[in-house]
Amino acid sequence: MSLLPASWAHIGPVIAPLMWPLMRREWQHHPWRHAVALLAVALGVALAYSVHLINTSALAEFSSAVRTANGEPDLTLRAPQAALGGQAGFDDALFDRVAADPGVEIASPVLEVDTYAQAADGKRVAMRVLGIDTLRAAPLAPGLLPKPASGEGNLVVLDPDAAFPNPAARDRLGLADGQAMLLQAGPAWQRLRVAGTTPVGGAPLVVMDIAAAQQRFGLQGRLSRIDLRLVPGTQRAVLLARLNLPAAVQPVAPDDAEQRVSNLSRAYRVNLTVLALVALFVGAFLVFSVVSLSVAQRTPGFALLGVLGMTALERRAMVLAECAVLGAAGSLLGLALGAGMALGALRFLAGDLGGGYFPGITPALHIGPGSALLFAALGTASAVVGGWWPARQAEHIAPAQALKGMGLVDTTAPPAWPGLALLVGGTLAACAPPLFGLPLAAYLGVAALLLGGVALVPCVVHAVLLWVPPPRGALALLAVQRARFQRRTATAAVAGVVASLALSVALTVMVASFRTGVSQWLDSVLPADLYARSAGSSAAGEQAWLPADFSARAAAIPGVERVLASRTRALMLASDRPSVALIARPFGEPADPAQALPMVEPPLAPSVLKPGEAGVYVSEAMVALYGAKTGSTLLLPLADPPATARVLGVWRDYARQFGAIAIASSDYQRMTGDTRINDLALWLAPGADAGAVQQALRSLLPDPSMLDFAASADLRVLSLRIFDRSFAVTYYLQAVAIAIGLVGIAASLSAQVLARRKEFGLLAHLGLTRGQVVAVVAGEGAAWVAAGTLVGLVLGLAVSMVLVFVVNPQSFHWTMQLVLPWGRLALLCVAVLLAGIATAAFSARSAAGRSAVLSVKEDW
Amino acid sequence: MLHIRGLGKSFHTASGPTPVFDDVSLQLQPGEFVALLGESGVGKSTLLNCIAGLERADRGSVAIAGTDLSGLSDDGCARLRRNRLGFVFQAFHVLPHLTVADNVGLPLRLLGRPDADRVHTLLHAVGLDGLGERLPAQLSGGQLQRVAIARAVVHAPGLLLADEPTGNLDPTTAERVLALLQTQVREAGAACLLVTHSAAAAARADRVLRLTADGILPFTP
Repeated sequence: MSLLPASWAHIGPVIAPLMWPLMRREWQHHPWRHAVALLAVALGVALAYSVHLINTSALAEFSSAVRTANGEPDLTLRAPQAALGGQAGFDDALFDRVAADPGVEIASPVLEVDTYAQAADGKRVAMRVLGIDTLRAAPLAPGLLPKPASGEGNLVVLDPDAAFPNPAARDRLGLADGQAMLLQAGPAWQRLRVAGTTPVGGAPLVVMDIAAAQQRFGLQGRLSRIDLRLVPGTQRAVLLARLNLPAAVQPVAPDDAEQRVSNLSRAYRVNLTVLALVALFVGAFLVFSVVSLSVAQRTPGFALLGVLGMTALERRAMVLAECAVLGAAGSLLGLALGAGMALGALRFLAGDLGGGYFPGITPALHIGPGSALLFAALGTASAVVGGWWPARQAEHIAPAQALKGMGLVDTTAPPAWPGLALLVGGTLAACAPPLFGLPLAAYLGVAALLLGGVALVPCVVHAVLLWVPPPRGALALLAVQRARFQRRTATAAVAGVVASLALSVALTVMVASFRTGVSQWLDSVLPADLYARSAGSSAAGEQAWLPADFSARAAAIPGVERVLASRTRALMLASDRPSVALIARPFGEPADPAQALPMVEPPLAPSVLKPGEAGVYVSEAMVALYGAKTGSTLLLPLADPPATARVLGVWRDYARQFGAIAIASSDYQRMTGDTRINDLALWLAPGADAGAVQQALRSLLPDPSMLDFAASADLRVLSLRIFDRSFAVTYYLQAVAIAIGLVGIAASLSAQVLARRKEFGLLAHLGLTRGQVVAVVAGEGAAWVAAGTLVGLVLGLAVSMVLVFVVNPQSFHWTMQLVLPWGRLALLCVAVLLAGIATAAFSARSAAGRSAVLSVKEDW
Repeated sequence: MLHIRGLGKSFHTASGPTPVFDDVSLQLQPGEFVALLGESGVGKSTLLNCIAGLERADRGSVAIAGTDLSGLSDDGCARLRRNRLGFVFQAFHVLPHLTVADNVGLPLRLLGRPDADRVHTLLHAVGLDGLGERLPAQLSGGQLQRVAIARAVVHAPGLLLADEPTGNLDPTTAERVLALLQTQVREAGAACLLVTHSAAAAARADRVLRLTADGILPFTP
């Protein structure tokens, strides 16, 4: 069954012979104009396709590395990454019981350690250590197995001094076979010998014998996971029931690891893709403008074709077919450009795209036909959508009147209901909960709001002009009456301005709100003068730690007034989600700003805690991902059985997207016995030399490189610089969007001038000077741009609320307050208004040209 | 009112200049109604454009009410048209987004002296009483041409240029419109140069001339 009406069936044979020669001539006459439209589609497709390719390639590479490192077990028994009783993983006594189970064919123990290696220049490089039992791992994770260097025997894999770094680790550390490899274990370095390599891709990683790893990292008797191959026919549920695992050990399906990797960056990837699709959206407006102009110029030709027997539907189909050809050509170019951009980005940016989700990998480009077809279809569809309105214009040409060259007057007010329906629908969609954990409904809502706003432009022009009394002056009368009677044309002229200004206002408000939020948050979380840390990530905190007495020794250093020490570790609460950060720190007097967290709402008093419960403060992401509302309880796998903690309050955290839990050091130490620390916040005495304090602190450690320092002011500046760099692309998008909006004004007014050339010719006969004709057209343009600016501003504020209150919380699980930078918004609106009027005046010049003057004598 | 002397005009094409007309001389006195005939392509409309200052002649001079157009800028010509000239076209050319009254009153507004009474009087004179608030799309061809005539004389111009004003009208309506045009010109005391192919229209004129490549000659039937 055809999706097209029966009346469309005969159109192809009619328009095909006509379309090519007419289109070729049109493109030959206006090559640059059509090239710009084609390029707009190509750039939109290229941007979206390259972002997609980079993301999928990075994700595939990262997932592949994870798969290789994890092997292909039927089931994995995994411990949360935080400590049980102060030590990572779980007791390896479980291994004997599991391996002996009749349902288990092979059991392979693994110890995972996140730590640092020392590079040749003395700097630390984040390193993951996998301790494996080579013989047991071989059938389950063949890609992980060490390959001994030439000259080393096969049994070197059991050598407790042997290390097998992967290519990324060898490259980052500049290691060769036989050289020493230094790995951090607490406040000391462990020296190993490079005895070969492991082919695992991705980030730096080293494989070594599990017993040696346990001994070297002080984790005797501990395991991180057990990979299992089950006897065929074994039912997992039955096996798990029989094993009666400790509460802190979780069964994990192989898919969970991949899901976890995907979840890690999903929201970031989707938001980046949507941002890239905005370019395609804006490109559709440029197609709209260019095709509108083209149809206006060819109106006499279409009218003649109409007189000769081409039906209205065939004229519409012809314009749409031309748009489809333009879109398809632009899409093909865009796919090639996108693949090239992705290749360059993967080579020079390593596929990270600024999100920091795929560190240390250099993925290869993965191109699939499915996605190429999808983006080609999107590009073509955007061109067809952009050409829809002009195609309707070509359809509605009245041949007789068009041949006379007089513009048509459309005195009927356009219906407001489609625009209002889109606004209502958009608002409802924006209020909908996330779909698949993503703000997909909110994005649909934004699109509906934008389209609804654009559709309402004629009504707004009508409403604005209702307040304008009939002018006495000829020029004002001409401009106002024309704008009043051509309200529908106003939509065509200012649709681009409305959409681009709305996007610009929305992005400006969102970025300003976010930046203000981050700035205030930094003020709140960085109260000290100087910060020192032993580990750059919570996972690395397992090995890169400071001894318990380090805080007291630091406090004794001259110039140090006060020290606040904390312990940060990774804690896995769900097997298919990234770990959350557990921050153990002192909580004293709530009024003490040094110990205060940036709470979202007033917290509960600790008196609500029941006996045996610990009070914790969670970040907003914990509420969104784990339902950890204030007053609820959480089971923390820090002890066996897990400890119960009650949520006393929710705090704002812009640093950890997947959740953070702050717990009192005393409670943490009571649960785990772990007294180690990772981070120090130091308040210096007035006049103290920060450099001298750093020097003194470093001297307390066996290796000064084990401690990183940052001054509060530097951290603040660095954080905001990273923020500004991350959002720089939005300024680029705003500039492109506004430029395209202005091109839309120029193209639409040029189209109008062409369609109305006899009117302007008449005005010249009646004695209007060139300047006055230009003023009339520019006046009309000013009325439309003013209405467009008003609609764009209001619409942009509405969209910004969706971005701030819906998209951000649903994507990244953090909230912020709406900040309206009125000064910048006013500047933006005035700039668009002035640029729009200048563009209108520029486009109007041809209205006063000789051809317009003489056109009153043209027959067509 | 109109004094043309030795006017010549050529169009420049790839193969060189193509002469349109040469050595055209003509004088019109106030109140005089002159018809200009000529074959298609001989340059009748181009001559009107040169008279109106919309095109520049290559040779010769045009003076309206004693003002030589060659000494005027484009804007100066525009101001002269605004004050001294009225136009009537074959295709009516009324502005579709203005009401009938606004169309008629447009020249007065351009001169900075809007006058609703004068517009009303003119509408009455051309038989369009009660249609002032209508839009042009609601009028017939004959009515539209009457709007154009009212607009052409509303500001009492000294010279009226009419280019095939009855070309789009049936003979009966054409006769009525022409009579109206002549009446308005006489009442305004203006001179009128009527370009036409119609012998019937030409028959109403005080003088009938013929434009040729070599200049203007008296018409001999």
